[in-house]
Amino acid sequence: MLLSELAPGARFRVQGVTIGREVGKRLADMGFNNGVEGEVVRRLFLSGPMQVRILGYNLLLRKSEAAAVEVQAETGQPSP
Amino acid sequence: MSGGTRQGRLRIALAGNPNAGKTSLFNALTGARHKVGNYPGVTVEKREGSRIREGREYRFIDLPGIYSLTAYSIDEVVTRDCLLDERPDLIIDVLDSTNLERHLYLCLQFQELGIPVVGALNMSDEAKAQGISIDSYELGKILGIPMTATVARTGEGIEELLDLADRAAAGGSDDLHRISYGPEIEPRLAALELAIAADPDFARRFPARWLAVKLLEKDGDALERLGSHRDAAAIAALARESAAWIGTHFGKDAEIVISGQRYGYIHGATRETLRLPGRRAASLTDAIDAVVMHPFLALPIFALTLWGVFSLTFALGAYPTAWLDAFFRWLAASLGPVLPGGALRSHVVDGVIAGVGGVLSFVPLIVLLFFLISVLEDTGYMSRAAFATDRALHAFGLHGQSVFPMMLGFGCSVPAIMAARTLKSPRDRILTIMIIPFMSCGAKLPVHVLLAAAFFPRHAAAAVMAIYAVGVALALGSAWVLRRTALRGEPTPFVMELPPWRRPTLRGLLWHVWENTAMYARKAGTVILAASILVWAVTSYPRHEVAPGEREAMAAAWSQAHPAAGSDDLEAGLSRELAERSMTYSFAGRFGKAIEPLVAPLGFDWRIGVATVTGFAAKEVVVSTLGILYGVGAGKSEGAGLRSELAADPAWTPLVAFCLMLFILLIPPCFAALATMKTELGWSWLGFALAFQLSLGWLVAFAVFSIGTMIGIAA
Ligand SMILES: Nc1nc2c(ncn2[C@@H]2O[C@H](COP(=O)(O)OP(=O)(O)O)[C@@H](O)[C@H]2O)c(=O)[nH]1
Repeated sequence: MLLSELAPGARFRVQGVTIGREVGKRLADMGFNNGVEGEVVRRLFLSGPMQVRILGYNLLLRKSEAAAVEVQAETGQPSP
Repeated sequence: MSGGTRQGRLRIALAGNPNAGKTSLFNALTGARHKVGNYPGVTVEKREGSRIREGREYRFIDLPGIYSLTAYSIDEVVTRDCLLDERPDLIIDVLDSTNLERHLYLCLQFQELGIPVVGALNMSDEAKAQGISIDSYELGKILGIPMTATVARTGEGIEELLDLADRAAAGGSDDLHRISYGPEIEPRLAALELAIAADPDFARRFPARWLAVKLLEKDGDALERLGSHRDAAAIAALARESAAWIGTHFGKDAEIVISGQRYGYIHGATRETLRLPGRRAASLTDAIDAVVMHPFLALPIFALTLWGVFSLTFALGAYPTAWLDAFFRWLAASLGPVLPGGALRSHVVDGVIAGVGGVLSFVPLIVLLFFLISVLEDTGYMSRAAFATDRALHAFGLHGQSVFPMMLGFGCSVPAIMAARTLKSPRDRILTIMIIPFMSCGAKLPVHVLLAAAFFPRHAAAAVMAIYAVGVALALGSAWVLRRTALRGEPTPFVMELPPWRRPTLRGLLWHVWENTAMYARKAGTVILAASILVWAVTSYPRHEVAPGEREAMAAAWSQAHPAAGSDDLEAGLSRELAERSMTYSFAGRFGKAIEPLVAPLGFDWRIGVATVTGFAAKEVVVSTLGILYGVGAGKSEGAGLRSELAADPAWTPLVAFCLMLFILLIPPCFAALATMKTELGWSWLGFALAFQLSLGWLVAFAVFSIGTMIGIAA
């Protein structure tokens, strides 16, 4: 599924960035790479931007950018 | 490579991600010895400074904060050009220890440039507090990048950092250590490197390894640089083919694969050297963000914050403003008797002192506003504001990050226009700069206050507020229109780091306030003084000589028109009429009459026309011009006098006053702002902005005046 489809509080494991060029490269540079785990912290109402926690830091992105990240929803214990 | 000797000068580039503490480290390294300029050809700030230590000179260049060495943003291109073309002896990379993996990502790209790199593991105090421990020696050994812990805020660790710099510069670049991209990619990189190195002239200028990697990442700028290689076409073809192979082999674009490999390498290097706490403790930042970034409350909180900033500014600013006002009143009163009498005295006292004083009394307000905005910026609220407003701003074609320059615009357009540099896409930058003047600046405030007090005495505050609201609404509306016409294009991505909340330092705050205010105060002292004198001159010259006998004729005519008037009234009426004549006879009068047809449809007479034109020097000059134009007959133009003078004048109605407020709000702010716009955007965009703002201002004032007159508000 796509990062943009996750609800606040959901944990995920990145499966890959589906687009290349500027936006995709930027997301990959910021740490969205295979196997990286993260968590959706919150989303603004009316499909506003979302806050995501990966690699120990927080990132803000719009729904349209989050739709470029393929993820697998994780359940269970938050990993360290 | 120069300067590698013990005593030679070291040229050091300071680089790193935004928010790593680079500015703080630069200040700690250079003290007050630095100068600020621009990188050639682009509007990215360039700061240089130096430090002498044990007889050795260290020269520092501060590079813009970036996340990666791609060539997608101006900042990245500037960094790349500086490193490739100026070839510093050493790069000090500033890393945030609390967020090590992502910060190492950029660090390793610097290493690929073949320039020695030293890492400053900054924010080590915060890392310790969070229970993060880093084995800096071991990490440095694995990566081939010497590292040491620093706290840029206090200057801790700087000596060790410079020791490492000395040693690294003496040792030259380290070719043994470098990132490995794995068994599939390395052979392809090797082939590219070999082909690039085949042209020795070329290879001297560009590091082969770095260029090979960038070519696989399909980097447009790297491809352009390759153009000067003798086998450029063949290498480009080889790179294309390799990238395509990687694409199919890994099932995703080569540039994404390479990012992944870098992070994989970093993960390997930090596995043994970085210890994170078992569980991340809920931090204060999380608690504050739960409220400030609440899905529903974020936007109302932003509105409340904005309102709070304004209320506080006006509440606190009222005191110093009153003191300054009293001071200038006292100055005018005590200078009056000292100066020789006549026209000169009245104009020095009423025109110049009242004009400059009127402006300077508003400086405390501007300083306070900038101070509060700096607090918001330095604590980290501005990223939250971008989060809160992006959805709404995006609907109008703006970007969440436009919110900061727009807020500064309420203070002064000049720093606001410069702050638009933080927007990475040129289109967003142009758009934001285009609408900043509609955020009613501090210089327009005296005009609004004067007119509102004169014509809406019972609703003055509401009238001023309405003008601000109209400004914001028209800013958003214009953005919407421009985004669909002159500035069409793909929306820029919103991918932004959210830094933790931080306690601002007094030094940082004062620096920001100083930077923003200096421009405004300097303008008040020079431009407005000069403008006041100029306005006085053009309204007084050429002198109108009264022909012999003319005065008697006028007196007779006046007495006939006012049969019941006494001799005092006659004197006052005569001098008013004479002043009126000499005004009409002066340059300003002739000019005003000439442009009257242009402003008459807005309900303005020629005097108001003159005031709007002199307002280009600075908007506060509108007030002093009106003071001179209306104060002449009465002999007084300070605050209350001018107010009643205007209110009593038949040319003015509340509708005219409101239209003037609208017109002043929308037309370009002042020469200083126009000059800034020119440096930021160039002549053609300046011309466009000028035309756009002037026509919008005229049309809005015209529409309001016509409709108002039609439904009979004018009466
Ligand atoms: N606790 C702590 N804060 C720091 C340190 N270095 C910088 N800061 C703060 O981090 C924030 C960002 O620093 P700044 O120098 O503006 O970062 P830049 O964006 O890299 O230039 C500021 O509030 C600094 O006061 C440090 O070593 N420790």
